[in-house]
Amino acid sequence: MAGARLSRRKIAAYFADELLAGRNVAKPLAAYLVESKRTREVTLIVRDIEAALAQRGVLLADIASARELSQDTEHTITAYLKNKTAAKDVHLRQEVDESLLGGVRIETPDQRLDTTLRHRLDQLTASKI
Amino acid sequence: MTNLFTQFATTEKASGDIFTSLGIDGQMLLFQVVAFLILVFILSKFVFPPLMKAVDDRQEAIEAGTKAAEAAEKKAEEAQEELAKLLKEARAEAKEIVATAKDEANAMIATSEEKAKSRAEKIVKDAHEQLEKDVIAARKALHNDMIELVALATEKVVGNAVSKDIDKKIIADAVKENA
Repeated sequence: MAGARLSRRKIAAYFADELLAGRNVAKPLAAYLVESKRTREVTLIVRDIEAALAQRGVLLADIASARELSQDTEHTITAYLKNKTAAKDVHLRQEVDESLLGGVRIETPDQRLDTTLRHRLDQLTASKI
Repeated sequence: MTNLFTQFATTEKASGDIFTSLGIDGQMLLFQVVAFLILVFILSKFVFPPLMKAVDDRQEAIEAGTKAAEAAEKKAEEAQEELAKLLKEARAEAKEIVATAKDEANAMIATSEEKAKSRAEKIVKDAHEQLEKDVIAARKALHNDMIELVALATEKVVGNAVSKDIDKKIIADAVKENA
């Protein structure tokens, strides 16, 4: 991995394959970024790895809601994402944010669906003239 | 009188000469004639010419003065006529100036009235526009305040009203709607 500067896409593809192979990539990725002095790109590279995983059928989705989701709701969201992205495997990262009031916000590497009441209220407020 | 003639006849008879009878001395007469001629000569040579010249000069001066007076009178008449003419022209000009001034004044008054009218109309129009702007601004402010109020009220009400089941239904509906 050391040597010429690699593009983020190649790095992401490499570590996505490593992850799918069942290997822990956190330390090698951190080491590479430190060695190549690209620690500032960590967020972008993680996002690219998630995108690469999505291309390989493994979808990581960030779910934000006002309260803890029930299993039924998780299944509903998982089914929705599989249907929407044709992913074979869906992993949800949940976050509880009471200020969202209700509904859910789903973010994937290339999509965003915000059905929270907070978002609707923000839209209403933004309609001020 | 009779005595005088008598004496004359007596004397003539006595002397036998008429000049003597008349008491005239021939030499004396001749002397007086010569003296007279000399006097006439002197007068005609030395007195009459300057005197005549003075008279002529005087007459010329008088004639010149008369002519000058006539000329002055004529000039005065001409000046009077010229003055009358000028006065007439000046009156006509003054009349024209007054008429022009009146016309200009009337025009200025008309223009001023027009301007005042236009300005008044503009003020009214501006006032209407400003009023409309104020109404629109008030409506916008009301609209925005209403939105703000609705958002706040909704947040307060929904924050307490949304239960877990309702939230579950909201999520299910949203997912279904976007599927």
